[in-house]
Amino acid sequence: MRLEGTNLLPASVETVWKTINDPEALRRCTPGLKELKEIGPDTYQATLTIGIAAVKGTYAGTLAITDKRAPTHYKISLDGSGGAGFMKGEGTVDLEPQGDGTTLKWVGDLQIGGLIAGVGQRMLGGVGKMLIGQFFKCLEQHLGGGT
Amino acid sequence: MTTRYIGARIPRNEDPSLLRGQGCFVDDLQLPGMVHAAVLRSPHAHARIDRIDVRRARASPGILDVITHADLDDLGAPLPKLIPHVSLTHHKTQQALASAVVRHVGEPVAFVVADTRYAAEDALDLIDVTYAPLPAAVDLETAARADAPRVHDDMDSNVCAHYTQRVGDAERARAQARHRFAERLVMDRGAAAPMETRGVVAAWAPRTGSLEIWDSTQAPIPIRNGLAAMFHLPQQSVRVTAPDVGGGFGPKVMMYYPEEILVPFASRRLGRPVKWIEDRREHFVATNQEREQIHDAEIALDEHGHIVAIRTVFLYDAGAYCPYGLIVPIVAGTTLPGPYRIPNYHCEFKAVFTNKTIVSPYRGAGRPHGVFVMERLLDRAARELAMDRAEIRRRNLIQPDQFPYEVGLIYQDNAPMRYDSGNYPQCLRRAVDSIGYAGWTAQQAAHRAAGRYVGLGVACYVEGTGIGPYEGCRVTVEPSGHVFVATGVGTQGQGHMTVFAQIAADALGVRPSDVTVRTGDTAAFGWGTGTFASRAAVVAGTAVSLAARAVGEKTRLVAATLLEARPDEIELEAGTVFVRGVPARALSLGEVAAAANPLRFAMPPEWEGPGLEATRYFAPPSATFSNGVHACIVEVDPDTGALEILRYVVVHDCGRVLNPMILEGQIHGGVAQGLGGAFWEKLAYDPQGQPLATTFMDYLLPTAVEVPSLEVEHEETPSPSNPLGVKGAGEAGVIPVPAVVAQAIEDALRPFGIHITEMPLSPDRVRQLVAEARRQPCD
Repeated sequence: MRLEGTNLLPASVETVWKTINDPEALRRCTPGLKELKEIGPDTYQATLTIGIAAVKGTYAGTLAITDKRAPTHYKISLDGSGGAGFMKGEGTVDLEPQGDGTTLKWVGDLQIGGLIAGVGQRMLGGVGKMLIGQFFKCLEQHLGGGT
Repeated sequence: MTTRYIGARIPRNEDPSLLRGQGCFVDDLQLPGMVHAAVLRSPHAHARIDRIDVRRARASPGILDVITHADLDDLGAPLPKLIPHVSLTHHKTQQALASAVVRHVGEPVAFVVADTRYAAEDALDLIDVTYAPLPAAVDLETAARADAPRVHDDMDSNVCAHYTQRVGDAERARAQARHRFAERLVMDRGAAAPMETRGVVAAWAPRTGSLEIWDSTQAPIPIRNGLAAMFHLPQQSVRVTAPDVGGGFGPKVMMYYPEEILVPFASRRLGRPVKWIEDRREHFVATNQEREQIHDAEIALDEHGHIVAIRTVFLYDAGAYCPYGLIVPIVAGTTLPGPYRIPNYHCEFKAVFTNKTIVSPYRGAGRPHGVFVMERLLDRAARELAMDRAEIRRRNLIQPDQFPYEVGLIYQDNAPMRYDSGNYPQCLRRAVDSIGYAGWTAQQAAHRAAGRYVGLGVACYVEGTGIGPYEGCRVTVEPSGHVFVATGVGTQGQGHMTVFAQIAADALGVRPSDVTVRTGDTAAFGWGTGTFASRAAVVAGTAVSLAARAVGEKTRLVAATLLEARPDEIELEAGTVFVRGVPARALSLGEVAAAANPLRFAMPPEWEGPGLEATRYFAPPSATFSNGVHACIVEVDPDTGALEILRYVVVHDCGRVLNPMILEGQIHGGVAQGLGGAFWEKLAYDPQGQPLATTFMDYLLPTAVEVPSLEVEHEETPSPSNPLGVKGAGEAGVIPVPAVVAQAIEDALRPFGIHITEMPLSPDRVRQLVAEARRQPCD
């Protein structure tokens, strides 16, 4: 499943870049994130609890940031599994100055399997967009608070 | 002998208990000390298993056992290959638990037994499996290509069989034909969705070294035989009972599902009865499915609309393994010619592995596919040649004086197809008359003028039924006069308890309510193959008749001694046995039964043993062929895609009718399942092989709202192939439904020029087709 979007954030490209590389900000803004432990450079062990349709599940896995071209681009990979199935995602984030702010363009491809795929698939696009929306709203507040 | 009950519309013996909630299904069993199992299933369509760690699960409260492939020893080997075929070059079967690779979502990986199902399910989450996902072959056409990811890495491709049957010379005939029309026809996946999912209870008795199993299966005897071999037990030490079964429809004739081995294995390991009941979500990934085929087909005709050749080259999706062999594609290809004279026929298929749930027969078992292809080709030809739809069919029908009719193909039972009897023009005439075909053009024009899109469809089929190898029956009269009938073919709702009782009652001069039928219990009758392929009435019904008649002969023999008459002077009627013309010289049937089992003194040698009891077998050398015509009128809303079925007429011929009420029930259920497969039910998979419809919210079964009131008419052409003259009817209802619905929808939407080449449709798909057509307006 392909997901994409564009968000306008009220901060400079450099500030946004710093924030989206800051484990503390990621921890605060990722919906359902229970744990984010750095296990190597730009590699984290993550535990997420997400409910999709009637299926609430906890997923343990890794999150890695690669292909970094500071301060405008990185690739993020997510790989997690739990009782409710598995998810595997890959996406890119690109930043571009836009007036005083920054346009953040994200594109992702998410594969899910197991229970969530069978039961929650119809909701997944919507839920995915909602969760990503929450993430950026939080980031926006974070950045707004910082300026 | 007078027939009193065969053919009568009598209520079913099984209904009082079922309707009062007093049936006994597998999940109703509560054995002392029984524990509960749950299955860990693969969430991946294709993956290597790198590691399975069950330590946390084992330590979880209430957990008694966690079983993986490593625990199974020789039970971990690939499961038996059921139905081999010379063209099936790669007969792959699954393991009870996957050892190294999982090949579809839902494939069993571990088996947990706990005090409660709740605890077992929770422990599934604690099993850590490390999977290395592999590329999946999902789309059928892509999977058939040489460069597709391979489902089985020891094969060069995913093609496990390539089989061709030919009648005449289709190549030459089509080259010389006046007209040729080709279609690409696609049928997607569906599920049988019985009300009762699968379930197994097993109880190992250590003192006797015996295994007792209750299984929601269509084939208890083969299950017994297979388990005895796998567990190295005498067959006599294994008893398998299929108690009340809440619908089978084919997938439950599959043997052996992994759980049928895992549950008894766990019971023996733990020394306790173990129960496993499939939940509905599991059912959507773990019980066999059907229907996916892609046909490239062509019809060739002469200038009068006579068929000169048919050609189909198709792909059949086998799923991840093919335990059941090539039955479904063979049935599809051999059902295609139907009631039509087709002098030249080329039928070629490839069976293809995909990373999806295993495919095995589901009610119709390929027949709906064959009929869909044939009837769509005829519809196309009729349109192109500006011929009437009923007329092109009528013109090509096999005539009543052409029986027996050699089709020239080899059927699923490996025997040549030879239509035994039928009156195809009569069935078509009756259906066309009932639906009001003659006045249809005017009627449709009136609907159009009123802004309504109403269409009519009419489609024919022939169904091979009643195949061998054999079934048997033992009939016993007890001293009470009550008759017991035991046979191997279990019942999943078809009414065996009633029709077999009717057959025995007529032979013995008793009422059906005096007859108790035992089926599906290997301890009651241990020979047989199972309930499938519309064969119970034909094969087991005939065995019942033969056995009951033999008991009647024995009754005459014994009564002749007692009543001092000749056996041929003895009559059986209303539960009494008397000398013809002298009703006062009579005994009750029970008295004769008691006398046939003397306590002292010599027994006449001509009795050949005690009691009023006989066992007989019936082994038909080949199938007997039912046929029918469905016609319907539908209304389609081009804006919403909604379908309403206004009328639905079934005229069918399954030979002599045993019980019209039960038969109509069979037809009704079949049509309902056919409508589901034609319009609502679709098992969608995503490109990675994840099933997207695993609940009834996504997998839409037709309900009482969608299924119309059916008009069913019986035509009776007795079968010359068995003494009762019967033919099978179990699958008839479902077979032509996709074909007739497609034609009716096309007719309704003729102003848009819609062309239907796929099944199932859906409101959404109809809307899409209308939208596409609106962009390309036609005349």
